[in-house]
Amino acid sequence: MIETFRQNRLFALYTALVILLVVVAIFAPQLAPQDPFDGNMRNVLQPPSDEHFLGTDKLGRDTFSRIICGTQTSLFMTICVVILLAVVGGAVGVASGYFGGKVEIILMRIADMMLAFPGVVLAIAIAGILGGSIANTILALLAVGWAKYARLVRSLVIKLRNNDYIIAAQVNGTKTVNILWRHVLPNILPMIVITGAMDIGTMMMEIAGLSFLGFGAQPPTPEWGLMLNEGRQYIQTAPWLMVYPGVAIFVVVAIFNLWGDALRDVLDPRNE
Amino acid sequence: MTNFKLKKIFKRLSVGLCGILAAGVISGCGGDSTGGGGDTTTLKVGVTNFADTLEPTQNYFGWVVMRYGLGECLTKFDEKMNITPWLAESWSVSDDNLTWTFKIRDGVKFSNGDALTADLVKQSIERAFAKNTRVATFFEYESITADGQNLIITTKKPLPGMPGYLADPLFIIVDVPTEAERDFSKQGPICTGPYMVESFVKERAVMKKNPNYYAEVPYETVEIPSIDDPNTRAMALQAGDVDVAVNIAAGDIDVFKGNDKFVIDEIPSLRVVLARMNQNPDRILADPNVRAAFISGCDRETYNEVLLKGTFLPGKAPVPPSLDYGFDQLTDPNAYNPERAKTLLAESGWADTDGDGILDKDGRPLQLDFVVYNSRAELPLYAEAVQADLKKLGFDIKINTVDYNLIDNMGIKGEYDLLISNITTANTGDPEIFLTWYWKTNVDGSNPQNGSGYSNPEYDAKLEQLNSEFDSARRRQLIIDLQQILLNDAASIFFGYPQTNIINNKRVAGVKMYPSDYYWITNLIRPAGN
Repeated sequence: MIETFRQNRLFALYTALVILLVVVAIFAPQLAPQDPFDGNMRNVLQPPSDEHFLGTDKLGRDTFSRIICGTQTSLFMTICVVILLAVVGGAVGVASGYFGGKVEIILMRIADMMLAFPGVVLAIAIAGILGGSIANTILALLAVGWAKYARLVRSLVIKLRNNDYIIAAQVNGTKTVNILWRHVLPNILPMIVITGAMDIGTMMMEIAGLSFLGFGAQPPTPEWGLMLNEGRQYIQTAPWLMVYPGVAIFVVVAIFNLWGDALRDVLDPRNE
Repeated sequence: MTNFKLKKIFKRLSVGLCGILAAGVISGCGGDSTGGGGDTTTLKVGVTNFADTLEPTQNYFGWVVMRYGLGECLTKFDEKMNITPWLAESWSVSDDNLTWTFKIRDGVKFSNGDALTADLVKQSIERAFAKNTRVATFFEYESITADGQNLIITTKKPLPGMPGYLADPLFIIVDVPTEAERDFSKQGPICTGPYMVESFVKERAVMKKNPNYYAEVPYETVEIPSIDDPNTRAMALQAGDVDVAVNIAAGDIDVFKGNDKFVIDEIPSLRVVLARMNQNPDRILADPNVRAAFISGCDRETYNEVLLKGTFLPGKAPVPPSLDYGFDQLTDPNAYNPERAKTLLAESGWADTDGDGILDKDGRPLQLDFVVYNSRAELPLYAEAVQADLKKLGFDIKINTVDYNLIDNMGIKGEYDLLISNITTANTGDPEIFLTWYWKTNVDGSNPQNGSGYSNPEYDAKLEQLNSEFDSARRRQLIIDLQQILLNDAASIFFGYPQTNIINNKRVAGVKMYPSDYYWITNLIRPAGN
């Protein structure tokens, strides 16, 4: 492990940054200098100052504290989406790849249908119908994204399926569940992890996008996309309300994208 | 490999950053121009439009028919809310106060050239009665007859408000016989206003000069884009995409104040932002103590003076101070007092038994569904401010944002705990209709707008008196009494009274905001310098 970091300095750097983000997210309530929900309404739209490092918003809440707490919301939602995508997409992919036949045809045609829609538009439609909330945003992005994982995993499983060690296991009478668990899953896991890691940034953007449009997190939740939307009304008179959440999204998405890239380089078997 | 990778990443990053900077520079420069040349034949007005069709009897769509300069009524409100002649040049009432005679102005033509007669006016009013049940909440008539240019309306009981009722956009005069070959809702009705419809969709209307108008019409074409987002509307005005924009929000108005390129007409409106409180028996707000606590917990002064930067006056009573109905002498038992709110809630048995910060009673959390729509910028702001303030008292307010078109129906069906809206209080010249619609007892849909379940026999009796009282001093006292009853009962919460504004650039002149909010595009708007 340490050897890996020593050989991949960049990966080490990005991993450190990711860990830092996760720590910020977990300890957000303790790190935030002020209450992100309760502001002084007599003190609204203040520009950045000593007391309010990044100014105050339309209800007098401290923007810096809200951005810090937004890390928790954004990261939690993103991780949930990515894990669910990997699990659901992976399960469908393994089933259709390993069993083939009718199962494969039906599952893959459904996946094709989902892939035919433009992703964000479909997510907006689903979130719009279900109504705006954090859980519904996660559901919407899951409904849109699982097909990509399913197709990827299926093609990997098809390649594995006819390998000698799997046939040997089948001949020995190993239970299907055990074959999938012991022999198939370990072989496809690195690819799923890489794809998931590379998707974190994209998902974060889409979650922020949905919240910006009013389909994601609802007020008063501190969430970056929602904060962007709230700041939009004051773009000319209090631009810091849009700038800083925007910078937060930019920085965090950039970190996760770079980390995903680096992780791929590390895990890619062709590198060895 | 790693080094190469690093270079590639930096290259990508720098290209991206350059792009962002370039975009910033371009948009920064674009912000301040006032756009195109001196086109004096086309007027562009940025509005908010809630109407799907131009059928004046549908929903509140008549407002839009009037605001767009298409439809006119028999009477009109001036800038002091006095009733003045419009399509009727004069009117009188018989000695028994039951028969009204309106003299229709001579020489008025519909935009298709048909002369306006009392008979066509009669048909138009009857059509309104046939098409919308809300019309009957204004008045019920015994008979309407046309005699030459005289329109005679006989009512069952004395109705002092009649000339004001007929100024409501529900009574826009349309050329009924043309309905046979024309779809009013899609193509717009044939009316008598200075402009007529060339094309209409909700997002954008194009109006043409009415060649048969009885006065001068300054523009050949009026383009009316509906820009529902207040921020975008302000920017469209700054960029010169529109010459006139209505209702610039608190967040943007500072940009125009003190800028000599624009003219602001800002007046106190007749509107009130209120939240109806659903007090039907199974609802949490059925308990008057909870309603009183809710109102006492809201710091309305701060919302209006600070959050909305004084573009709203702090709320107290149903009728705004801009109308002379005793605002200062009314007492609000539920003025801001969070300590009292806590006491009231405790009295009613609400306590935080599970320690989650939200009060509860018999296992039911103090959770309220607050319905809001977005097309007016202040509504979500009020809702969020209330949510933050009341959380301190242990309320859990769920804000439910819906489309404006759903509001009317949700209000009628009572699908809310709180429903915020921005309502005009004097659509007929005084608050009688307003006080009737929202709080008169609703028996099996007899008063559909009151979906909140509010009912007070004393209130209903006073309304009945008001309905046929001709003496203006006594009317005023009745309206004051009615308001005090609503305040004592904590029937609704009145958040604030908006200033309303219309802002234009220096290419046009004659733009004026009227307190009634009915008349936006008129033939008085003309190219500057003419």
